[in-house]
Amino acid sequence: MAPIIVSLFILPVVVSLLLLFLPKAAAKVLTILATLTLSGISLYLYYSRGDQPIQFAVPAIVDKIVLIADFALLAYVIAQGFLQRNILVWGLAALQAGILAYLAMNMPHGEYMQFYVDNLSLFMFILINVVSGVIAIYSLKYIDEEQCSPFRKKYFLSTIFWFIAAMNLLSAADNLEYFYLFFELTTIASYLFIRFRLDKESKQNALTALWMNQIGGLAILGAIAYTIFTPGYGVPTFSHLLTQAPTVGVILPFAFLAIAGLVKGAQYPFSKWLIGAMVAPTPVSALLHSSTMVKIAPFIILKISPAIQGTPVATVIICLTAFVFIAAAIGALAQDTFKKILAHSTIALLALMILMSAVGTPVAVTAALMLIFFHGVSKCMLFLNAGIMEHVFHMKQTSSMTKLAEVGPYTSLIVAVGFMSLLLPPFGAFIGKWFSIETLGTIGGAVITPGYKLISALILVMIVCGGAVLSLLYFKVLGSMISRTGERDKVKFEKLHPIYRGTMNFLLVTVLLCTIALPWLIPGYFAPVAATIIKSGVPVAFEGFALTIDNVKLPLIPMIAAFVLLPLGIIAAMFVRFKNVDRAKEYACGEKVEYNFASFYFTTEKATPYFVYAGILFFVGILLVGYLM
Amino acid sequence: MNNIVVQILLIALAPILGGLIYGLERKVKARMQRRIGPPLLQPFYDFLKFADKRKMIVHSTHAFLGLLHFVSLWFAVAVLIMGGDFILIIFLHLLSTAVIILAGFSTRSIFSHLGANRSAISVLAYEPVLIIIAISAYMLTGSFDVSALYASEIPVLFKMPLAFIALLLILPVKLKKSPFDVSEAHQEVVGGVELEYSGIFYEAVYTAKWLDYIFVYLLVFMFGGANIWLGLVLVALTFIYINALDNSTARVNYKQMLRFCLWVALPIAFVNLLLTMFGVL
Repeated sequence: MAPIIVSLFILPVVVSLLLLFLPKAAAKVLTILATLTLSGISLYLYYSRGDQPIQFAVPAIVDKIVLIADFALLAYVIAQGFLQRNILVWGLAALQAGILAYLAMNMPHGEYMQFYVDNLSLFMFILINVVSGVIAIYSLKYIDEEQCSPFRKKYFLSTIFWFIAAMNLLSAADNLEYFYLFFELTTIASYLFIRFRLDKESKQNALTALWMNQIGGLAILGAIAYTIFTPGYGVPTFSHLLTQAPTVGVILPFAFLAIAGLVKGAQYPFSKWLIGAMVAPTPVSALLHSSTMVKIAPFIILKISPAIQGTPVATVIICLTAFVFIAAAIGALAQDTFKKILAHSTIALLALMILMSAVGTPVAVTAALMLIFFHGVSKCMLFLNAGIMEHVFHMKQTSSMTKLAEVGPYTSLIVAVGFMSLLLPPFGAFIGKWFSIETLGTIGGAVITPGYKLISALILVMIVCGGAVLSLLYFKVLGSMISRTGERDKVKFEKLHPIYRGTMNFLLVTVLLCTIALPWLIPGYFAPVAATIIKSGVPVAFEGFALTIDNVKLPLIPMIAAFVLLPLGIIAAMFVRFKNVDRAKEYACGEKVEYNFASFYFTTEKATPYFVYAGILFFVGILLVGYLM
Repeated sequence: MNNIVVQILLIALAPILGGLIYGLERKVKARMQRRIGPPLLQPFYDFLKFADKRKMIVHSTHAFLGLLHFVSLWFAVAVLIMGGDFILIIFLHLLSTAVIILAGFSTRSIFSHLGANRSAISVLAYEPVLIIIAISAYMLTGSFDVSALYASEIPVLFKMPLAFIALLLILPVKLKKSPFDVSEAHQEVVGGVELEYSGIFYEAVYTAKWLDYIFVYLLVFMFGGANIWLGLVLVALTFIYINALDNSTARVNYKQMLRFCLWVALPIAFVNLLLTMFGVL
């Protein structure tokens, strides 16, 4: 198995290098082939998985290469910081270089495996390779329309595969030092992506992303330091940490790792980098929001969830993410730019994923995995579609999209399905949200101390209100997607470039098929992964017409009926045409008025700065309780 | 409500029962205003008359969404009668509302849009309270199924009195009754979302309102637990309360409504959740 896994690391790197030199036509073929191969490998790996995780070591020379690469990356960051006169960037990088040098001298030597591939890694492989691959194919066309030199176009495609390689490595790394390198690699890749357009705003936002993610790197180094110097831990690997944690009883390293995750996951106060990232070409946003970068956050928390479950660190993380969930949803209400709405809803849903991961019960972990998967596919579809709307229809604001249903019915259909898949039953995201509420309810019933009860009740209220605010937001966008006049009643799909049409069709079919297959996906796909995370079985059973997962029941008949009624019904509404019925103009009280899409724009800007302060407090809180424990 | 035949009958007859409630409501309201009021079956006469009107729509999507609203609401009511998962029921109900909100947005009518916006705000106002009530009910019975509440030996009302109060506070929002009837306020937005429907297509939206009565009064009935008579008394009292309130108050604007629901009704529901959680009652 190990060689096949390694091929997931090597292949994207090779493709990445080749793409820099190959001519356009060859690059096209190579990208499509590489995507197919990588997706095939990741799917094969999942289906041929064994009961035991796969562990393997690499030659000792690689350790040295990793260390050198670490320093080279930091040197690059310092240089960038100096060149662009950003003290935060070079300061944080220099600090990291210092700590890293000190740690390298004190690193304990021992025989251990650097890579550890369990079901969670295999789950991530599928998400990363399939979804990012689709984005790479889409970029072939998108970047072609961008105004930049031919080399930069090649460089863009090449960076996507670099990103895929870094993400694959990151999900397989067990050694924290390796993990740190891959973490930094994704940071640098996103930095290069965000500044791709090379205008002033892009450069500024790229630097913001760089220094914010440096804090994540710093946190990982902190985790390594505490692991080395805490008696009992010794070797800084994930698997070692997790097995030792109950006996050592020090959870500060986990608090550090959690912080690294939360920074990547753009939780308050670090949300700015993700929102700023949309100055880059749209495939970048799709990549950052769906399958890579931000998904590192729930990945890390899922990985360490057995160790932090029930500790104050988990409690603070849960409080933070519950707060972010509602705060980001409120922040999204004030937005009109389509991509900004998407970005805020990513932050909110990520908060929910991290929350469920930190709760760590079987149902919560399953819900988190479902959210990760379905959010990945849906968000990818929505962002890629946002790119089509910008390039083909020149629409960026939701308020200007009210004619989309007439000029681009296919595109508006995709947006409608995308938003519905985040909102309506029986889509995975909805079920994830539903499980979240039910499982949090059950926790409140089970815990003993009054303080915990109070907290879990408060968190429930936040989740419930945040969910309501998010629905309000989605209605707003969905509403503008199906708005039309009676004059042009015919629906004729617009012509799109085959690459656009192909990728969109693929994602659309994936979303719909996975939804229909959910009763089989849960026991066959999500539950085994959840079982490896919590290190015990996840009881899933069919009882009559209900699927029970631990203590939560999923009634299938209402679900199927809801699917037929709601998503399919709304889609049908876009196509159904009544014959022999007269058309009437809209009523306007006898007045001649200009039509404007009337939607409430909520001015929530006054509140948002305080969210950042609250976020900072929570981050300090995580470290504090981690230290005091 | 264990009898399957009764359940199926109830589901089948839900729109007609709702129509009767609506007829009764018009009667009671009229008597409160010292009028005689229309006959009890007036809603059904209206129903028949609409069917006879000329068929006119703004566009097909809009008309179809109206029908979908009716069907999905009926479905939510059916799951509620069958005693399904409480959270799921609330979501299904929310989504049937979503359909009508989308219908409101789908036309280019100003009043329709305003109505849709206000309906969305109403959802934001009452949905959290309903879910908190559902979670309290879970804490009480250990199951999210509504059937557990129907079967509860001790009436749910005595166990969660505050939840009942919170429910009473948000019911006017749900039923679009004064003082919280901003979403259809005839004097301001001319009926809001339903404005652009007419004739046979209006029937769906019109009868969906009847279904809403059934939905709401079933929620109230639930607080009686296994004691059917207590449930019916609660429903009767709530009926009088809603109509008296509707007759005696003036409309507030949507901000005041939202503020009231989130700062008064929600905390009451929350205190109830805490009380149930700590097993005080």
